[in-house]
Amino acid sequence: MATTVVGIDVGGTFTDIAVLRDGILSVHKLPSTPADPSVGITAGVRDTGVDVDGADFIHGSTVATNALLEGKGGRTALVTTLGFEDVLEIGRQNRADLYDLSMERPEPLAPWQLRFGLPERIDYTGTILDDLTPESIDALVGLLGEADVDGVAVSFLFSFLNPVHEEILAERLAGLPNRPFISISSRILPEFREYERTSTVVVNSYVGPVMARYLTQLESVLGHGLRIMQSSGGSITASLAADQPVRTILSGPAGGVVGAFYTGVQAGYPDIITLDMGGTSTDVSLCPGRIKETTSANLGGYPVSVPMIEIHTVGAGGGSIARVDAGGALVVGPQSAGADPGPACYGKGDRITVTDANLTLGRLRSDGFLGGRMTLDQDRSQELMTDLASGISASATDTALGIIRVVNSNMERAIRAISLERGYDPREFTLVPFGGAGPMHACELAAELSIPRVLVPGHPGILSALGVAIADVVKDYSRTVMLRGEDLDKARLEEEFHGMEQLARAELVEEGLPADSMVPRRFLDVRYVGQSFELTVDCPSLTGRGELTRSIASEFYAAHLQRFGYADRALPVEVVNLRLKLELAVDKPILEPAPDSGSDASHAAVGNVDVVFAEGAMNTTLYDRDRLQTGNRIAGPALLLQLDTTIVVPPEWAGEVDPYGNLLLEPVVEAA
Amino acid sequence: MPVDAISLEVFKNMFISVSEEMGVALQRTSYSTNMKERQDFSCALFNPAAEMVAQAAHQPVHLGAMPASVQAALQTFPRGLRPGDIVILNDPYMGGSHLPDITLVAPAYIDGDDGKRLIGYVSNRGHHSDVGGMAPGSMPLSTELYQEGLIIPPLKLSRGGRINQEVIALICRNSRTPEDRQGDLAAQIASIRVGDKRLTEIAQRYGLDETLEHMDALLDYSERLTRRRITEIPDGTYNVTDYMDDDGLTEEPVRISVAVTVDGDRMKIDFTGTADQRPGCINAPRAVTVSASLYVVRCVVGDEAPANQGCLRPVEVITPRGSLVDPLPQRGVAGGNVETSQRITDVLLAAMSQALPDRIPASSQGTMNNMIIGGHDISRDKPYVYYETIGGGMGARPDKDGVSGIHTHMTNTMNTPVEALEFAFPLRLRRYALRRGSGGDGLHRGGDGLIRDVEFLSPARVTVLSERRRYAPPGYHGGHHGEHGENVLLKGGYEEVHLAGKETLDVEAGDVLSIRTPGGGGWGAPTHDHGHHH
Repeated sequence: MATTVVGIDVGGTFTDIAVLRDGILSVHKLPSTPADPSVGITAGVRDTGVDVDGADFIHGSTVATNALLEGKGGRTALVTTLGFEDVLEIGRQNRADLYDLSMERPEPLAPWQLRFGLPERIDYTGTILDDLTPESIDALVGLLGEADVDGVAVSFLFSFLNPVHEEILAERLAGLPNRPFISISSRILPEFREYERTSTVVVNSYVGPVMARYLTQLESVLGHGLRIMQSSGGSITASLAADQPVRTILSGPAGGVVGAFYTGVQAGYPDIITLDMGGTSTDVSLCPGRIKETTSANLGGYPVSVPMIEIHTVGAGGGSIARVDAGGALVVGPQSAGADPGPACYGKGDRITVTDANLTLGRLRSDGFLGGRMTLDQDRSQELMTDLASGISASATDTALGIIRVVNSNMERAIRAISLERGYDPREFTLVPFGGAGPMHACELAAELSIPRVLVPGHPGILSALGVAIADVVKDYSRTVMLRGEDLDKARLEEEFHGMEQLARAELVEEGLPADSMVPRRFLDVRYVGQSFELTVDCPSLTGRGELTRSIASEFYAAHLQRFGYADRALPVEVVNLRLKLELAVDKPILEPAPDSGSDASHAAVGNVDVVFAEGAMNTTLYDRDRLQTGNRIAGPALLLQLDTTIVVPPEWAGEVDPYGNLLLEPVVEAA
Repeated sequence: MPVDAISLEVFKNMFISVSEEMGVALQRTSYSTNMKERQDFSCALFNPAAEMVAQAAHQPVHLGAMPASVQAALQTFPRGLRPGDIVILNDPYMGGSHLPDITLVAPAYIDGDDGKRLIGYVSNRGHHSDVGGMAPGSMPLSTELYQEGLIIPPLKLSRGGRINQEVIALICRNSRTPEDRQGDLAAQIASIRVGDKRLTEIAQRYGLDETLEHMDALLDYSERLTRRRITEIPDGTYNVTDYMDDDGLTEEPVRISVAVTVDGDRMKIDFTGTADQRPGCINAPRAVTVSASLYVVRCVVGDEAPANQGCLRPVEVITPRGSLVDPLPQRGVAGGNVETSQRITDVLLAAMSQALPDRIPASSQGTMNNMIIGGHDISRDKPYVYYETIGGGMGARPDKDGVSGIHTHMTNTMNTPVEALEFAFPLRLRRYALRRGSGGDGLHRGGDGLIRDVEFLSPARVTVLSERRRYAPPGYHGGHHGEHGENVLLKGGYEEVHLAGKETLDVEAGDVLSIRTPGGGGWGAPTHDHGHHH
């Protein structure tokens, strides 16, 4: 690995670059170039003065995400087992909203004209019932040749148990004259449940051509040291990302969680809940001493079942619009004023948003926004807030407080969903807010959920770029085996894992990664026999003397008890999937803890203003966060201003700057 | 804190999240494919007056019917439910809908200065894939309730926090799949405990009085929104009569008549004129009929209102005693909940379409296509029951086509994945596809139905409960009707035998059951250049 590592996070507004040179971190922020993100990246990298040939670049890309959400992927065909061509369109046959008579399903990414069924069948033991015939392949190749597609996805039933038909077909498709982008399900996601698997492989083929073009272009600028952030929080080589772009589909939010988790661990708080509050939505993720993954994500209505960081998104952000509905309730979001026209205080829009409420309450400074680069129109907010308030016979101030309370209750629901609903007690966690608006809401939200402390990273606005820069190289493999009872023995598991590892190493060598330095970790997806949800547990030793089924069951019961509050130890379990992770740790910044400069923070105080809290308007100290030093203590009420965010410290809260420049906030405990 | 615009929204979020958390607990801990994979369950929260305050968005057919469960539990135990009590029931004539739907009801209390005080009730309902009776799956072509399975009148499953294991043993012994029952009941109990705990936490945090006030305020809020939207519907009486295919015993069509009267901010739904209760199993208990009415009211006028009983306050539902939509006790009801409820919905929407022609979709498939398969799995050496409902065509909308291959109206269960099915049961899917061209033509086309072909790998007994096999889903405003459904048995895999819409039959290894579900009706007369592109 090179000694200079550059993390690049491209968002809708800004491109953030984090440079780690000999363990020292520096950060850069510049406007994004949405039409062609590589233009902004090129300019940004030039600014940093990094020698392109001697550096590794890790990129959190939204190219695949945007291609999917904006419907700008390639013309994609799907080949399935005959009789199951429509599984992609039928999905799980349910509807997202029970009462919406005008509901719509997202358009299938492979339209019906481009879905082809071939006669072949493999059963649930992997036995071939019907052979795939050369004649049917010939006919398909002819049709695909005429169809002029950019990509082809192949997903046969039970191919995860026996990939031979998919392999035969892939070989023939590779010979198609226009060289479409080919993905087969036994390589992308060799797991059962045909709809989710087929959807994943179709998404891969759909975004593949777009991603391949983009990466080729980027490699021409950044060289071959380019890696791409995956949705799982690990990075992969650009060549693999070009082959399996579906693995990068949520790489943007993943960088933030990796950065927040790193910050938490460094500060001594490895159990965190992340709060990334942006303009239109808020992402929350729970990390119980590790970053949690899921394989049941859904993007824009399309299931994507490769590993992803478990992130829950709620339609509540700084731009969420407040209104009084016909029944007289104050509703906030999910409609957002976005960046254009933006909140009323931006001067264009005429809808009151959460940002306007913060401004009305004095929690956001009209002159301190984006470090003074933008001035907010406080009068406009105030005037429209008064209009809104008259609709519920309240004062403008109470209405603004109400908006904060309602949007916080929306975010509270999201945090409950990832904590209490999953068997985690928020009181054992630290809230790590980032993104533009997170640090404004974090303390009040923590109080509602009895979260005992809030940790605000030193640079909340570039946390994603930092996370991208420090992301380890990770390769994930999985395979459905469905083993139980007598079939579940050590030799069988060892054989399966060994096969996966052989395949993995061959691929790693091909990608130019140091296969021998990568650490393999084995996991099992386990469930009660016949159930339909699995829990992932560590695979017990396959060489020791312990009884295998009992060790697996014991791991599973513990996980089940944690997650669901009970475990029936009498019921038998089965192993559904094997999971293999190969990890190559990358260098992390060597941050020297700063010496304690004493508790006095008065040198950073820049004034006093009135800010409204639930208790009423209070004289509040303003601090310039950049001037705060380790050991400095802040007592609420206070506002901390910095370039990309404002930190609100309510009354009865106090904070201290830790040796790494993070701000640790806790409620003030009354002396007994 | 008094009720205001802000606290109303905050409490709404909290109440809904109680029922959602109950649902998460239930799904995650339940055992059977039906509850876990298909999510055939619902959870709701009630005030001390047994009015439903909040529900998680689960199965519409359950939700409007659950208030009757809480009421039945309270009638049976007039001295009230004590802390830690859980009432269990499935009696369709005492708070239930059909026997496979087992409902749990429990109170939530808070400690106060003068002892424990009632906050409200939590309840969940899950469809158990077998509770005994004359056919696997407990949805037989019965002639009386006793044939449909074990009847559980409201009784205490738990007293003061102690579970009565004998009740569970009795239920399990009456089921063909006792392990699933055990697991699913444990999940329902776990879900009830989550709901009890969460509701109590809210009352502790905000105070009992405030919690109760906000429950009432939320009901008022939904009522207000609903009344406001009803006033936007032109006043008048809208009459519709439609016919179900049959009751499964004879071929006699079964009439459903409704007169919907809109008068200012009130609505009256009167089923007078509907056929008398039937000897077959398609009778819909009144709770089910009310549930279908609530669903329609909510679709048509309640788009913003939280779904709770406030939505029904402006609505009067009149059901003649002894009729199809309000049968007298001990009539068979297995199909009432799943089939008749779907048709009631169609009929009500047809009436609304007269009032609001540019808002209401044409008829959807009008059935849930229940397929229940049971037998002994030789390779796994155990009995099995597999229940599936199959989506179909959605009716075309005034501004766009209907969706194909989807569950509409009173159900929203997911399908069992092909690969999950074959891992679990001695069955093999031969085809699962859209039934192209089955949607009715029109200015906008009805959605297409589905085809699901199941091959049996060992002998089994099959019950099919389906509708719209004779009378196709009509199109509206000049749109063509969708194709009616078909049930076909392919003996030995090829010899076609046409089956009735409702039938129980024994099949052999190698036979294939092909269920072809109805398409949705079209909307508006087809224009000349509108191609049959599907």
